Amino acid sequence: MNLKRKVQPEIRPVVLKSIPDTELFRLKNGVPLYLIEAGSEELMRAEFIFNAGQIKENFPLVASTTNAMLLEGSLNYTAKEINNAFDFYGAFIHQFAQKDSSGITVFCLNKHLEKILELCCEILFRPIFPEDELNNLQKKRLQSYLMNKQKVQNLASDKLFESVFGYSHPYGKQVLAADFKNVTTDKLVNFHTAHYTNGELSIIVSGRIHNETKAMFEHYFGEHDFKSGIPDKIDIPINGSKNKKEFIEKKDALQAAIRIGSATINKRHHDYPGLLILDTILGGYFGSRLMKNIREEKGYTYGINSSVMSLNQSGYKVIATEVGKKHAGETLDEIYKEIRLLQTRPVELREMDVVRSYMAGEMLRMFDGPFALAESFRAVWEFGLDNKYYYNLADKIKTIQPDEIIGLAKTYYNIDDLYEIIAGSA
Amino acid sequence: MIDFKKYNLDNGLRILIHEDCSTPLVAMNIIYDVGSRDEDPEMTGMAHLFEHLMFGGSQNIPDFDTPLQMAGADNNAFTNNDITNYYLTIPANNLQIGFWLESDRMLGLSFSEEVLEIQKKIVIEEYKQRYLNQPYGDIMLLLRPLVYKVHPYLWAAIGKDISHIEKVTMTDVKDFFFSHYAPNNAILSVAGNIKNHEDVISLAKKWFGPISRREIAVRKLAMEPVQKEERITEVEKDVPSDVLVKAWHICRRTEKDFYTMDLLTDILAGGESGRLYSSLVRDKKLFSDINAYLAGELDPGLLIINGKLMDGISFQAAEEAVKEVIEDLKKIAVPDPEIEKVKNKFESSMVFSNTNVLNKAMNLCFYELLGDANEVNQEVELYNRVNPEMVMIAAKKYLQPDNCSSLHYKSKKSVK
Repeated sequence: MNLKRKVQPEIRPVVLKSIPDTELFRLKNGVPLYLIEAGSEELMRAEFIFNAGQIKENFPLVASTTNAMLLEGSLNYTAKEINNAFDFYGAFIHQFAQKDSSGITVFCLNKHLEKILELCCEILFRPIFPEDELNNLQKKRLQSYLMNKQKVQNLASDKLFESVFGYSHPYGKQVLAADFKNVTTDKLVNFHTAHYTNGELSIIVSGRIHNETKAMFEHYFGEHDFKSGIPDKIDIPINGSKNKKEFIEKKDALQAAIRIGSATINKRHHDYPGLLILDTILGGYFGSRLMKNIREEKGYTYGINSSVMSLNQSGYKVIATEVGKKHAGETLDEIYKEIRLLQTRPVELREMDVVRSYMAGEMLRMFDGPFALAESFRAVWEFGLDNKYYYNLADKIKTIQPDEIIGLAKTYYNIDDLYEIIAGSA
Repeated sequence: MIDFKKYNLDNGLRILIHEDCSTPLVAMNIIYDVGSRDEDPEMTGMAHLFEHLMFGGSQNIPDFDTPLQMAGADNNAFTNNDITNYYLTIPANNLQIGFWLESDRMLGLSFSEEVLEIQKKIVIEEYKQRYLNQPYGDIMLLLRPLVYKVHPYLWAAIGKDISHIEKVTMTDVKDFFFSHYAPNNAILSVAGNIKNHEDVISLAKKWFGPISRREIAVRKLAMEPVQKEERITEVEKDVPSDVLVKAWHICRRTEKDFYTMDLLTDILAGGESGRLYSSLVRDKKLFSDINAYLAGELDPGLLIINGKLMDGISFQAAEEAVKEVIEDLKKIAVPDPEIEKVKNKFESSMVFSNTNVLNKAMNLCFYELLGDANEVNQEVELYNRVNPEMVMIAAKKYLQPDNCSSLHYKSKKSVK
């Protein structure tokens, strides 16, 4: 047998071909309907996005509670009837209330689309926020809040947001247990009226699109009087905490959660693609420097990663891990050591090749199938960007040079700017 | 519908190939027919630890992950009580890299002492992170030994105890490899952008063909005796609320009753319109959340209900309320629209799962392991055959108090 197992078969370049286009169709009232034709199954993913995130709330929890209450009773249906109908038609509904926007995403078979759109219209525009359901929901949400507060990873992440963005900024504001009982039906009705009924809606649809698809959306969502558009810019100053280091005591914790991060640029900034590549080298994939060092060489953790996230008014980066408590100190030292290395020593070509190829493969996955396509579209659309961002990123992955990475590491990973949060037992 | 071709190599490796050119990727999945049920009771967690070692370099290739990253691939694995499953997705033009890597680690591992020591540490941190350092993280670790007395399902895939993982030696690792990892104990599926089935078969012959059959350890599992008395155990932990967990023994995965029990579970808890949520969370406000699911084992498995009590609700009240919902299933036939609802939901989950080539690859392997990959296409029909009478009979057969074990997971603060 002359099979040469030690010799690696030739690896061919991974090339992102063209990204399928999104069609913009405006409903009669101006609501933008984005259509992405994809996939071979007769199904649909429809995402209804309102400019109604936490950034718009005047009281804690109002944006998330308004969103959670959408399925708890409407003008024509009780909560039970609504939930039963979604289940009966085999639809899956995902509600979301994020920092910048809120809404729902539904997944259904095309044969039930019309019924599902009627239900979506009902829950989005005719919810009645029944008192009884609200009380019950808040009890449930308080319970899960209290449970989350027992996890070191949540204690550390929450504190990081507060430190990075400051307590008074909507991105940094913390929810307290006492806030749950202060959410009233009135506050929800007001928020809903301002940010859903009279708000700004956009719809992203992907899957198998037919001739009648647009007409159905027109029928259920084209009649109301809406504004439309991408989230507007409100500029609230970010005042991060003066304390760069915080320790949160969690008695008897076996592991310590570590979060290191700071505010940074978002997708609108021309350095962002480079920063993503830098972040991938540091902690963005299984072969990253942090994974190799802290997990695969030292065995201190099950996992460590770093990520860069975009928000409408800012962005942030965070390095996250849970480590055996006796290794917390050494893990911190190693994290800073890896950052300094990126600031001083050029990344070797071999490692550059690995990261380029890995990220090129990830880009293929980002546009694979109707669900991934819709998510990737949304991820640029909400920043007022389009597929040019992705072509630009693909190009940067191919062409970035080690000295540019050193420059980015110096600019965006200045160690004095980083917040360091640890939650665990003393 | 998943169209596929099946091919067997002389060494016993079964191969399933499915073409879907709507993606630029190919998914490759390998099931090894070994899980935590095949472990020595004194060395539990071995199958899962072994999964980690499979990424630590093989006989001819020192590094498994880097070539995959170079090829633009993504990969991972999981271990459960029954199987160990490895998967990757790779741009179609680099498929051979997947064959090269997967076949070499089937041929043999690096068996490096250094890798073993590091991976033991990582698995111990995983144990802490996922099971010990999370509120309620140890529920299954407590429930299994209550429900099973002799069958190896009595421990979880992560293992009974950290000390079992600590004491694993290289001799144990080699024994485990050569008695479970072999072409004749594995199933491979390849799904995605494949222009020509013959090319895939050639790659399989080239890379997996030369690996010899091995003698697989004979599976002699102690069968769990019929449970004859209700079991209840109570623990008290530093958690915010009380949790009630109940488990009933049910049939094997391959028995017809499985489909009935799966739909019965959806009637109880398939979405928020499920009976448990609707009655006990919405109407009676006894629980803040409640769920029911089949644990999914191949040998006789479990139906598990897991509910979080509202503050001030006693375990007795919670138990009675759950019992009432269960008893209803035995007394009154489930109305047709409710059966139709759970069947619709099943149908759409199947369609959604088929949008992804990796899911299709995994499903093909799993159904082949059950007996025949063709059955992946008969599932909808098998579910459609279930009728209200079958649900009632199954409820009476399995959901008996004597067949039930309950865990009362108490919050310290509620015990005064």
